[in-house]
Amino acid sequence: MKYRALAVLLGLLMVLAACGDDGAEETTTTTTAPTAAEGGTVRIGWGGAPSSLNPGLGELTEDYSIYELTYNTPITLDLDGNYVGELAEDWSVSDDGLTWTMHLVEGATFHDGTPLTSADVKYTLELYRDCADWCVYMSSYFDGDEVIEAPDPATVTIAKSVPTGSFEGRMVFMYILPKHIWEGVDPGTFDNAAMIGSGSFKLIEHRQGEYVRLAANEDYWEGAPVVDEVIFQTYENADARVQALINGDVDMITEFPATAIATLEANDNITVATGEPLAPDLTDIIFNVTDPANCPAEDGVCSGHPALRDRQVRLALAHATNKQQLIDTLLLGLGTPGIAIVPTGLGIWFNGTIEDYPFDLTEANRILDEAGYLDTNGDGVRECPAGMDCGDRAELSFRMNFPDDSDTGPRLAQTLADWWEQVGIGIQIQVLDPDTLTSVCCPSLDYDVILWGWGSDPDPGFLLSALTCAEIPTGLSESGYCNPAYDELFAAQAVETDLETRIGMIHEMQQILWEDVPYIIPYCALSSEAYRNDRFVGWLDTATKLALEDPSSLNVIRPAG
Amino acid sequence: MTRGSLFLRKALWALVTILVVITFNFFLFRVLPGDPAKAGIKDPRLSPEMVANLQERYGLDKPVLFNTGEGGLFDSQYFRYLGALAHGDLGTSYAYKNQPVSSLLGSALVNTLWLVLPADILAIILGVLLGLVAAWRRGTKLDVGALMFALFTWALPTFFLGILLLFFGSHYLGLPTGGRVTIGLDQGFWATAGDVLRHLLLPTLTFALVLLGEYMLIMRSSVVEVFSEDYILTAKAKGLNTFQIIRRHAFRNAMLPLVTLIALNLGFTVSGAIQVETVFSWPGLGKLTVDAVAQRDYPLLQGAFLMLAISVVLANLAAELVYLRLDPRVTEA
Repeated sequence: MKYRALAVLLGLLMVLAACGDDGAEETTTTTTAPTAAEGGTVRIGWGGAPSSLNPGLGELTEDYSIYELTYNTPITLDLDGNYVGELAEDWSVSDDGLTWTMHLVEGATFHDGTPLTSADVKYTLELYRDCADWCVYMSSYFDGDEVIEAPDPATVTIAKSVPTGSFEGRMVFMYILPKHIWEGVDPGTFDNAAMIGSGSFKLIEHRQGEYVRLAANEDYWEGAPVVDEVIFQTYENADARVQALINGDVDMITEFPATAIATLEANDNITVATGEPLAPDLTDIIFNVTDPANCPAEDGVCSGHPALRDRQVRLALAHATNKQQLIDTLLLGLGTPGIAIVPTGLGIWFNGTIEDYPFDLTEANRILDEAGYLDTNGDGVRECPAGMDCGDRAELSFRMNFPDDSDTGPRLAQTLADWWEQVGIGIQIQVLDPDTLTSVCCPSLDYDVILWGWGSDPDPGFLLSALTCAEIPTGLSESGYCNPAYDELFAAQAVETDLETRIGMIHEMQQILWEDVPYIIPYCALSSEAYRNDRFVGWLDTATKLALEDPSSLNVIRPAG
Repeated sequence: MTRGSLFLRKALWALVTILVVITFNFFLFRVLPGDPAKAGIKDPRLSPEMVANLQERYGLDKPVLFNTGEGGLFDSQYFRYLGALAHGDLGTSYAYKNQPVSSLLGSALVNTLWLVLPADILAIILGVLLGLVAAWRRGTKLDVGALMFALFTWALPTFFLGILLLFFGSHYLGLPTGGRVTIGLDQGFWATAGDVLRHLLLPTLTFALVLLGEYMLIMRSSVVEVFSEDYILTAKAKGLNTFQIIRRHAFRNAMLPLVTLIALNLGFTVSGAIQVETVFSWPGLGKLTVDAVAQRDYPLLQGAFLMLAISVVLANLAAELVYLRLDPRVTEA
């Protein structure tokens, strides 16, 4: 189970369960369960289960998978990371950049037959705008100054007092709710058990923690799905999930240990697909670079090692980090090396033109020698240069913390420590529970190095804000990084309504971060899913992003044969 | 002391134990590292106002034990919790938004009992029989075989045995890999019953095998001990056959230690199926508890712990009552 966005990513998708690698399974697999088509019911095995059917309250990946199928949003992201219209046929912004106008598609209706009009869109957007006291994420896609109007049944306008550069990104989770149902209930406590939406699937049955059963919406405005039913069944144990696919109890599984890939691929009836996750995430190595002048007055401890404020030290550590080897050993190859805080999975927003620092321990040693960090007492650990005020921490010996719920944390920490010790940096690894880690992290900034991670929205704005000076006292800034040139770009992109210009700015910000090295991004994990190719065909498994449980696949797949 | 007053005393003690457990539970989660108040509200994007709002909704803005400020001495988290508990209100889950803990626990308990009761019964019957036979044929190959079998299943980690059975059962017997029922078949009653039975088979077998070893070992040693008593010799001297000896003299006496064990296990089975439930995706109490730990759902955990504690206390009480029937000497103690 994974928190969808922004909730600090504590441990990666790859649950490397102990007994997954079962070589004996490879040769003798037979199908025992019901044969193909089966009336067109697709069975999907996943590790988690939705926590709430109320879109305002959902916070897990599984919640959003179900919302995507049962609701429509004005704008959506295609699997290559482009914004495309869903309920909005088109959208445009006024010349002053303040008013956005969306024209709605014709013929959209809710599952109960009521037409979906601009009144529903207006109602929903206003509900989400003002839900700060009860909802989890929705209100964060608004600034609060939006004035939403519905001049005619097919048009919605959103007027703001300052321009926004991330309009499309703000619309992709706006699941449009039927006004006639929601205005009669208290949205904050509504369980939404009937889940009346306008999406291509309707909820038939939901049993908490067990399964979700959906039926095709035969009257779907964009054309009904081919299959009759989709069932999401929870298999908590990863090995059981893999076995369920091999056995044919399910037709697709959304996550499994990387160690199971060989077993699955050996089966002719099973296809394994790999791609960027729908909600991309990254693993980061965070350096405490807080300048004492920026230390939060109220909560700041700011005990970071003074040498970490020197770019040369961080640069040397970047040269002493072999990202590809980490990917190969920790993720069994299922990852891509990161550059700055924008995950590779964000497509257009990720700056792929930067040639990363090569792994070169000699170069790392040379940089540190040149910067004057020499091992003067011969104990294998370098000391601060004579002229530098390192207080009582003259040795280049850093604390390294990571959360105890991270599967990859221990190996990542140990591998990094081995490399860094080879360039004369001492490392003390300490595992902390996530709450304690948060308390040493931010805004107290009472650490040297933290290994942690982020999940990302489709728009990179939020993650990029974590490196602005303004976020140091709020605790969103983990590194204490502060660079006026970066802040200036951040402010400019936030109000830039031209997509290409904004992409350029965001690429430049990544360039700055890569040069300043407040973070090293070792990798962004890829996701893998597997399906029975003898049951259903037509899965979209070749796009940049992989999400076979997304309507893009479930609307089009058909029984095999 | 009469049996009636003895029962009253035992019941009273059970009640006191439960009250102590309620208090202990409440404070346990509040002295552990990590703030339960923050655990429910940990989103970095929440503004201080939102956090205050949420804290008010969950009552976390009140002092823990005594309220020395406004609202009266007893307007605190602890006394509010006790008050709500008196009305059967276990609070609202953090992770399962707005759902009362009592209804979550209730439906999970029903599922757990479906799995645990057949497994318990199976394990008790097989364990007792096996123990009896082993003791009776003490020192023979049968005894050694039964002993080895019991020791082996007892020592095997539950999740490992579960995974093994899952692989073999699903692979060679075509049994389902998890869940309570095949979803969406919409078949008739008998077909559904058969389907549920098929789903129950592997998890029940796993759990029964895990429990069986212990029952068998205790029963065996207990019967072996009883067999060495003088009254068994007397019974033999009277010319009774082995079956009569076991039935009339050995069995009842040998059952005493086993009753303790069965009661203890029954109490713990409410939670004891955690590993089996996780391997077989069985939506029971164990799985719910594991999820609650993973998501730091303190109200749910608190409720689950309470239920576990109550069932252990009640099972012990039941054991005392069975003792009263089995062993007349108990009243004199």
